[in-house]
Amino acid sequence: MTPRRIFSAVFVGALALAAWPAVAPAPKSDFDIEAFGRLPALEGGRIKPIDTFARNTLLIVRSKQTVRVDGRSLSATRWLLDAAFKPETADTYPSFVVDDPEVLGLLGLAQGKGRYFAYWQLEPRRDEINKQAQSADAVPSGARSRFQTAVLALETRMSLYERVKNTFMPSGRGDPSAELASFQALMRAAMEALRSGQASKGAAEMMAALDARMRAYQFLAEAAAFKSVPPLKGEPDEAWASFGESMLRPGAGHMTHPSVPLFARMAASYRAGDAAGFNAAVAEQAAWARENAAEATRHARVEALFNRAQPFISGMTLYVVALLLVFASWATRREDVSSAAHAVFWAAFVIHTLGLLARTVLQGRPPVTNLYSSAVFVGWGAVLLGLFGERIHRRGFAAAGASAVGFGTLLIAHHLGASGDTMDVMRAVLDSNFWLTTHVITITIGYSGTYLAGLLAAAWIARRHFVRKPDPADDKAIVSLTYGVIAFGLFFSFIGTVLGGIWADQSWGRFWGWDPKENGALLIVLWNALILHMRWAGFVRERGIMMMAVFGNIITSVSWFGVNMLGIGLHSYGFMDSAFWWLLLFSVSQLLLIMLAALPPRFWSHARQLDA
Amino acid sequence: MRRNDLLPRLTNLLSSMELTVFCLVVLMILVVACTLAQVTLGIHLAVEQYIRSFFVWWSPEALPFSVPIFPGGGLAGGLLLINLGVAQFRRLELSWRKAGLWVIHLGMALLFLGEFATAFLQVESHLSIEEGQTVNYSQDFRRMELALIDGTDGETDDVRSIPASMISSRGEISDASLPFTLRVLSFHDNAELLMRGTDDPPAQATAGIGANVLVRPVPRPLGEEQDSPAALIEPVAPDGRSYGVFLVSPALGGTQGFTHEGRNWSLSLRPKRYYMPFSLTLKDFKHDVYPGTSIPKNFSSLVRLLDPRAGDDRDVLIYMNSPLRHGGLTFYQSSFGKNNTLSVLQVVRNPSWTMPYIATLLVTLGLLWHFGVMLRRTLGGLS
Repeated sequence: MTPRRIFSAVFVGALALAAWPAVAPAPKSDFDIEAFGRLPALEGGRIKPIDTFARNTLLIVRSKQTVRVDGRSLSATRWLLDAAFKPETADTYPSFVVDDPEVLGLLGLAQGKGRYFAYWQLEPRRDEINKQAQSADAVPSGARSRFQTAVLALETRMSLYERVKNTFMPSGRGDPSAELASFQALMRAAMEALRSGQASKGAAEMMAALDARMRAYQFLAEAAAFKSVPPLKGEPDEAWASFGESMLRPGAGHMTHPSVPLFARMAASYRAGDAAGFNAAVAEQAAWARENAAEATRHARVEALFNRAQPFISGMTLYVVALLLVFASWATRREDVSSAAHAVFWAAFVIHTLGLLARTVLQGRPPVTNLYSSAVFVGWGAVLLGLFGERIHRRGFAAAGASAVGFGTLLIAHHLGASGDTMDVMRAVLDSNFWLTTHVITITIGYSGTYLAGLLAAAWIARRHFVRKPDPADDKAIVSLTYGVIAFGLFFSFIGTVLGGIWADQSWGRFWGWDPKENGALLIVLWNALILHMRWAGFVRERGIMMMAVFGNIITSVSWFGVNMLGIGLHSYGFMDSAFWWLLLFSVSQLLLIMLAALPPRFWSHARQLDA
Repeated sequence: MRRNDLLPRLTNLLSSMELTVFCLVVLMILVVACTLAQVTLGIHLAVEQYIRSFFVWWSPEALPFSVPIFPGGGLAGGLLLINLGVAQFRRLELSWRKAGLWVIHLGMALLFLGEFATAFLQVESHLSIEEGQTVNYSQDFRRMELALIDGTDGETDDVRSIPASMISSRGEISDASLPFTLRVLSFHDNAELLMRGTDDPPAQATAGIGANVLVRPVPRPLGEEQDSPAALIEPVAPDGRSYGVFLVSPALGGTQGFTHEGRNWSLSLRPKRYYMPFSLTLKDFKHDVYPGTSIPKNFSSLVRLLDPRAGDDRDVLIYMNSPLRHGGLTFYQSSFGKNNTLSVLQVVRNPSWTMPYIATLLVTLGLLWHFGVMLRRTLGGLS
């Protein structure tokens, strides 16, 4: 086969593999769980499918998007259904990740059997957890001990789970359909009695029963984890209500919202194991929502599909394959392997781009809105730059460097995503699409450039030591690529930094306030400027530039993440804390690379070759 | 060394790339140090110590004076600016190929000058305003002033103010605009005010509210918290008659004063006020949240701007990312309170605010030009 044909075949094959999760049939179940997951709901200030809420909640509670029960893997929506409608079953699922030994000690649980625990194991110590969490909450976040942070996190997770359990029915007690009917009957009777003005015999009893129901709904209204009842025609778009809230609306007794009995039916039939009844209620709710909240329903369906497709996971896999294929092409020097590598690299980029576009469209925002999306975008920018670099010198360096950055940043994004909704709403000051587009995008592209330069330099250093028969043209290509990418990085980080200043001037009257985030950006600009000036002055040559470019990786990482860690003690917990150690590890690895480059020439395999 | 050697050597040094690299490295170290110091010192102090200074000072306990241990941001930035200027004219040829670098460096120089100008010229203050209220001054809570107000004529107050820095040096203050002198008996940068108990020593204040108050000096707060100073002031008539000792502090409510030659004077220590030749009336403050959450979506203040001099009488909506610029001042939505009926605007006077904009444009164009020329050369060399 010609390289061109290999390219096409591998490209299409890789795309097909990556698209599989989106089109694969759902796991077999009589209950149409996917359809329930596609229903729209309001939570965290935005409309999302219940599926998104379920995934994010399970991520917070269990650090995973699925839960394993008896060797079977349950989807997040299935887990949420069980928690909301059959909590006595869900309470036995190992849903909670607890790995702090002191917290385990507090709970009287043994360490070592596994890090996942069920709600029923934690429940007996609920009051104690509450007490400990309250005293931990009083300590400022920087000064908390590891135990305090862990117990606070556990309390947050348990509360979240308890709110899910109380979204439709109080912890699975009662029959929402029957209660709804009796509530409506009581309301009608009470209205009648009021109108006739006669105190009938059972009036006191009736009022007591009504009061008890109202209290139950009041409780549900306060506890609910999300709002699944869409606004009626004529109500404002954001007037979503939870199950309990819509029962408390004036006139709820005789003019119940059409969605309320549907959710009550879903609950009753799910509890009873009546799949047909459940599916019918879900379908009716979906049809009603499509009719009355068309925009929200469409959005929820698309987002649920996006959740299923998981383009960034596919992208991550493809980047690794591309990287391995590039290595293989270097080792074998075969054109067909190199074509395959390019094909996978392109396919990964296409998937990455589609994912990015989908997020942009779903959010109605520019691609970078938070730390998670900045990671996705840094990788994307570096890969795009790598594609250009690869067009200039088709030697695989740009592809290898870019694949590595693409994989690394998507991996970081994957971990950042575990802290909750990745499409969360923008706080007031940040609510500006104009500045998000200009400042945030440019500065992130600056990060991409600096990382790609660093990775290219790392490749140069590695080749010095490990490649037996170096081709001087190869080295020249890397050096010129690296230099070009540094210039690119300087350009974008400078523009991005000053645009940030202009945004600050527009929003609080200070062009430059020397705050940590600004300083981080400034460091990247200064470092890139320093490299270029050192080169122009002749203070550094090839090797020096490469060492400095690798150090640029550390500076970029510190300014990207280090700022979020400022003031975080060594005893804290959660991703940002473990990220601190990863950052440290990464920095050390880069310093080692620099030292490797600094070794005198007789240590290089290049030079050994020449001696021999 | 001969004298006529000195000048070329100096210009050589000032235009050298070594100096450029040195300044860049020093700046990087300062930026890192300033960022780390913010955790303990707060942003204002950290910036003052590392960036807006010519030296970073170290004051060991054992020494009565401070020692400069590192160049500060002002020195490094200033040197870099000189270096840039001298090198520009000594080394860079004037050609189309180098035109990009010329423009970049011109833009950088402007950016540096802009930051220097900001450091010296920018004045920041706050304007708190309740719904329905009309205000024509802003306050700087970081600077205090002793305000002496002649309120005899009812409608309009006659205000004389003395900066706190002047009274903190203790002693006597006599000012041509004041018909009496002020004796400063004590001044504390930061003090707690407590109700005087029966066991407490007798009050030093003999007049006004201070007689019932116990003053306890406390260390100045670190970080962003503000000082609450306190001072004992004794107004003395030209004939040596005392009007009593007054305790003044921004933490004290109420007014206190004395009568001098038939005029009623009140005195207070308060945040420094900047009066504006126009006024703002808050008509409505809005705090929008995302549905079903308490996450803020927007803050906005609808104000009426009344400026008879400029012939302005109009409504302005000030909201996030959309300030009001008027009369050389810029008003930004900054904070709120009192159950969403109080709006706090940040007021900034910065005559040099356009400099960074021009500088940015220049550097951007210069970089595009320069890197564009280089990219063309690289690509040309390949084919």
